[in-house]
Parts: sequence; C-alpha cells; structure tokens
Amino acid sequence: MASSNISGKPGVPVTFDKVAKSFGNVMVLQEFDIQIKPGEFLVLLGASGSGKTTALRILSGLETASSGRVRIGDRDVTDILPKYRDISMVFQSYALYPHKTVGENIGFPLKVRGVNAAEMEVAIREAAAQVQLETLLHRYPRELSGGQRQRVALARAIIRRPSVFLMDEPLSNLDAKLRGHMRAELKHMQETLGITTIYVTHDQIEAMTLAHRVAILEKGVLQQLATPAEIYNNPANLFVAQFIGSPPMNIVHGALQGDTFTAEGHSVKVPVKAKLRKAILGVRPEDCSVTTAAKGDVVGEIFTNELIGDHTLITVKTPKDMITVKASKDYRGKTGDKIGVSLTKSGLYVFDGTSGARVR
Amino acid sequence: MSEASYKFEKANRGLMERLFEPPAVGKMSPVAKIVAYSILVFWSLFVIFPLYWVIITAFKNGQIVNEGPYYIPFVDFQPTLDGWRAQFATDPFCDLQSVGRQFVLYIYNSVAFVLSPVVTIQPMEPQICKVWLAFSNSIVINVFATALCMIIGSMAAYALARIQYKPKFGNIMVFVALSLLTIIASYFIHWMIASAVALALFFLLVRAYGKHFTNRLGNGDILFWIISQRILPPIVVIIPIYMMFQAVGLLDTHLALIIAYAVANLPIVVWLMHDFFAGLPIELEESAQLDGATRFGIFWDIVLPLTRPGFAATTLLVLILNWNEYLLAVFLALAKSQTMPFMVAAKNAGERGILWWEMCAVIVVMIIPVIIMAILLQRFISKGVLLGAVKG
Repeated sequence: MASSNISGKPGVPVTFDKVAKSFGNVMVLQEFDIQIKPGEFLVLLGASGSGKTTALRILSGLETASSGRVRIGDRDVTDILPKYRDISMVFQSYALYPHKTVGENIGFPLKVRGVNAAEMEVAIREAAAQVQLETLLHRYPRELSGGQRQRVALARAIIRRPSVFLMDEPLSNLDAKLRGHMRAELKHMQETLGITTIYVTHDQIEAMTLAHRVAILEKGVLQQLATPAEIYNNPANLFVAQFIGSPPMNIVHGALQGDTFTAEGHSVKVPVKAKLRKAILGVRPEDCSVTTAAKGDVVGEIFTNELIGDHTLITVKTPKDMITVKASKDYRGKTGDKIGVSLTKSGLYVFDGTSGARVR
Repeated sequence: MSEASYKFEKANRGLMERLFEPPAVGKMSPVAKIVAYSILVFWSLFVIFPLYWVIITAFKNGQIVNEGPYYIPFVDFQPTLDGWRAQFATDPFCDLQSVGRQFVLYIYNSVAFVLSPVVTIQPMEPQICKVWLAFSNSIVINVFATALCMIIGSMAAYALARIQYKPKFGNIMVFVALSLLTIIASYFIHWMIASAVALALFFLLVRAYGKHFTNRLGNGDILFWIISQRILPPIVVIIPIYMMFQAVGLLDTHLALIIAYAVANLPIVVWLMHDFFAGLPIELEESAQLDGATRFGIFWDIVLPLTRPGFAATTLLVLILNWNEYLLAVFLALAKSQTMPFMVAAKNAGERGILWWEMCAVIVVMIIPVIIMAILLQRFISKGVLLGAVKG
C-alpha cells in the first residue's frame, strides 16, 4: 500500500452516473453525468451554489447522493465509506492537524493504515521532497506560511498514491502571486504522477490553465463539458459564453431572420440560419473593433474608456446594451463620442433569447 | 433609559472607561500604579484570607479559638498540634506502620473485589485509621468516578456533536409506556420475565407501527433531555437511589459512589464537552476520515488533543464537584466507604459543639489534593491549540 515509489501509476477512470442530490426541497445537483478518463485533470467550474462542491463531496463519500451511482475504476463506490474509496482530498482550508508536526501530518494517512515506522519515514521524506518541504518536517502548521501549509496538504494527499485526487478550491486562500506559482506546480505534479484529479474552483483562469477538460455547472445542472479551448471558442449556451472570458462576452438583444440578425435598425450577417423573434448575439471584446458611426454594425456612444496596459477597454452604450471593445492602447476617444463597432463575422454567436441555448 | 440617566451616562463615560478599562500597568503614572497595586493587594488578601484562616485554625486548640480571634501565629498565639493529634495520634491505627499495613490490605481487598465473580477471596477487615480511610476512599472514588464520567460523557458529547440522531417520538412513548407496564406487571410475575416480554413487545410494536410515527426528535432535544436530568435536585431522588443500590447489594461500597457520582455529573460533562466538540472545524475530521482513520481514531487522535483545554477544565470541575459531594455519600456510604466531607461534618456532631480546630485540620488535608490537581491540569488549560488548523 505504501509504495515508496512516488511517480508512475496509471490513473483510473471516474464515473458519475445520473447523480442527484437534494437537501429537503432544494435540488443542488441534477442528473450529473460525467465520465472522467484515467489520469485526466478535470475542473468543476461554477459560481457558489452551483453544486460543484457537492459533486466533489459525493465522490469523496462525505456526502451521500440522493440518487444515481458513482464509480471509481470499475468499482461502484456509491455506498462505500470514504476511507475505502482510495481517494485523497485537499481542502480549501488545508485542514492540517495543528497539534501534529509537518512530518506527522504528511505521514498520517500511512499511520492510520498501520504502515511500519521505517517505511513511513522514507515515504514522508519522498512526499516532502516532491513539494520542497524536507527542511520543515519538524515544524508545526502554525509556524508555516500559507503557501507552505498548502504544500503540506498536498504532500499529505500524494503520500498514499491514491487512485483519485480531489481538490476543493485549494489555491483560493493564497495571495495572487503565490497562487500563480502553486498553479504551475500543481499542474506539473499532476502530469508527473498521472493521477486522475478532480478540481473544484470558481476561478476561470485556474480552470482554463489547469484542466484537460472543464465541466461548467450552474444551479446544479451541467452546462458544458469540454476542453478549455472548446469552451472558449464554442460555448454551448449563453451562460457558458458569459461565464468564461474576461471581460465577458458582449451580448446584443435583437431578432434573427434567416442569417440576418437585426437590432435597433442595424443588421449583421451571422453564420447561422434560423427564425427567432427574440435572439441574442454574442461577441467577444477581442472580435469587436472601433470604427465610425456610419460604418459600424452596431452604433452607440462611448460610456467609459479604460487603459489596461497593452490594450484599452472601451465600453459603448447602445440603446439596449453595453458593448465592451478591446481596442489598441493608443485609442483616444472621449466619453459621449458617437462611434460604430464593427464585428468580426467568425466571432459571432447566436443564442435563443428565451432559453439561452446556442443556435447553430 | 430616562433622559436624566442618559445624560449622566454621557457625561461620565470617560470616567467609567478609565475606571474599567485602565491602561497597561507599565504605562501608568507612579501614583496610579500605587493605587492600582494597593487595590489588587487588598483584593488578593480578601480572597486568600479564608484559606489562611483555615490553615492557622488547624494549629489552634479549643482555648485559643474561644478566646480569639487571634490572627498571627507565634505573635498572637502559640500554635499547637491538638487538632492534628485528634486525627492521628489518638487513633491507634494511624502510625506509619499501620497505614502501610492498611495500604496492603487495601490492595488485597481490591483484588478480592475484582476477582469476586471468578473466585471467592474473603476480604480482610482493615484496621481503621479514620482519616486515612476517608482520604483514600475519597481519592479512589474520585479518580474512578471522574474517569468514568469523562470517558462516557465526552464520547456521548462527541456523538451528539457529529452524528445526526432522529429518534421517533412515538417509539420513545411506546418504550415509556411498556416500562410502566413492566413495573406494574412485576408485582404479579417475576421481573425478569416481565422485562423480557416488554422488550420483545417493544421491538414488535416499533417494527409494526414505527413507520406511522412521523414526529422526530433531534440532537438538540436529546441534549436538552440530558441536561434536564441535572435540573432536578438530587434530594428528590435520593431515596429511590438508595433503594436501588440496596436492591443490588452495593450499599457502602466504593462502586456505589463511583456509579452515583459518574451518573450525577454526566449531564455537565456532556453539555460542556458538546460545545467544545461542536466548535472544532469539521474539515479536520473529514480530512482524517478520507485519510483512512476510524471514528474512534479520529476522536482519539484528532478531536481529543484539540479540545484538551476544555477537557482539562471539565475534568477539574467534575473532580471538585465529586470531592465536595456530601448528600449522596450520606445515603450510600454508611461506614467503610465514607469520604472526606464526612470527616469534616463529623466535627460538628459531638456534644462539645463544633470542634473548629479539628475540622480545619481535616479541611487542610482535604484541600491539598485539589490544589495539586489544579496545578497539574492548569497547564493544559491554555489557549491557542487550534492555531494553524484551517486559516492563515
């Protein structure tokens, strides 16, 4: 069980089969259906209350599913106690045992499994070396910085070589600089170890950078499961389109007739064909450019003009909507100027105005 | 608040604050320092004086006490050992050799008691040095009663803090009704048969009708029920308790007092420890669960060390409650298992009035173990155990 060899163990697949969870009358997770590939890094992304943490806790066994099955490898673990699931978890709060030293914290999973002291000592050193903690083994958690505590939690998770890693917003208590650094380390570690990892976050940057695939949840419903690039370039619905991307995708309310989208007397050719009285046109800020009022696909006046550094964000107020345009850093427009916005045709998305579904 | 008092409050706010939230002693002016320390010294004397009085009275005799009050030994009065002689020297069994012999007998009798279900060893009748007997009785009863109470109480409290119980109110009522019926029935048939029948009936009824009961109780209700057992003054139930111990033949044994004390303090332990356990961050336990620890392992290895200050404080509280307990002891300990409070009370029973000097000698003996325990436990009662657990 306590393999002294830290790296190289094939990952196992994880399956959520129509898992649902309700607390009383509140459905926090509905028909959650995902197949996670061996060794995959899957990120569950969503706002708070989206059910992402509940999904993770059901997989860990800390919460029981109201219906549906959960499988790890070829084993149905739905009714199995957490400790028999062969998983380890990193908590948002790290959950280090404050009365134990770093070494004892890291070795705890082996100690409770009755691994002998000599073997444990070796495993602790190896796990600590993985996260550069060798010199701190005799300290107590209270004597460590936030980043070091985070690493202790990671070492405790990897020492046992579990089938699956679970991480519940592990980076959210760190400051921005350290977070970027730990993100890179985490990604590297997961790639070396090849252990199937499920990672919960509300941070889209973390999701996009870490994941092989991202699952976006909202109100307990899975919105889209795809690679980060696919999610960005080909969002399944309006929610995903607006959730991913910073600043978020612009939307224009109007109507669709054939391949012509019309809003406020201006019309744009879009790459899809349908007839919708209420349609929404989505376009990312980088697919918009500033032009004169006469040439613009959409016309409005400048609301704000923010210099970010390598580009300027211009918010244009149209009669119904606000549109953010990513313009060159040298752009000098003043608030109140009448301007037009031209849209790149390949970057246009059309959504059903009532259901939010993508029109393809 | 009336207009006038509001104005008063406002006008005197500064003064009140200065009085009740003074700056650190180091920052005070010399005059303020002298005043502050004088007040503190006065108050310390006020608090310590009763203890001092008990100790010096233990070295007085009847004459000094009656002529008194005298405050300072060697100046006001010549200390005597009369109070102590009454306990030790006049009792023929209180020399060191007898006490040693008694100690051996004590162990012999304990072994005899433990082995009594297996083999019958006739216990030896101890030669009684009264103070020593009462003192050792107190120690033995207290240690075991407190340990038993803390073990059962803290585990119960942990279960109530972390496991959700939902007993059905209907099932409980069925149990109560059947218990009452059993008591009535046992006038006509043997109580064992009555109990067995009632138990069987209970399971049958619960199985058959349990699903129709919808009202459930929660952990809060159970907790309140437990603490409500302590709201009842013990004097109300002392006669039934006496009769129960009489029925099982445990009167005047250590075991009777150990059980009685443990049960009497259980509600306090459950109530206090529940709060300490509920205050722990649950992630620690969830993490340990995922790491593979058993429920008991988590309790022992994670939860108990983290609640050590609360545990130590509760232990000390229970120890002191047991140490001073008199009422239950009066009924349950008739002779051989009398405790220290008896020895104190006995000094008030003679024809010569209250023998203050002898009583104080006993009290001094009685105080010593409590002070030792307090010193031993107080180093655990410190804050900051949870530092570094969940947040930075």
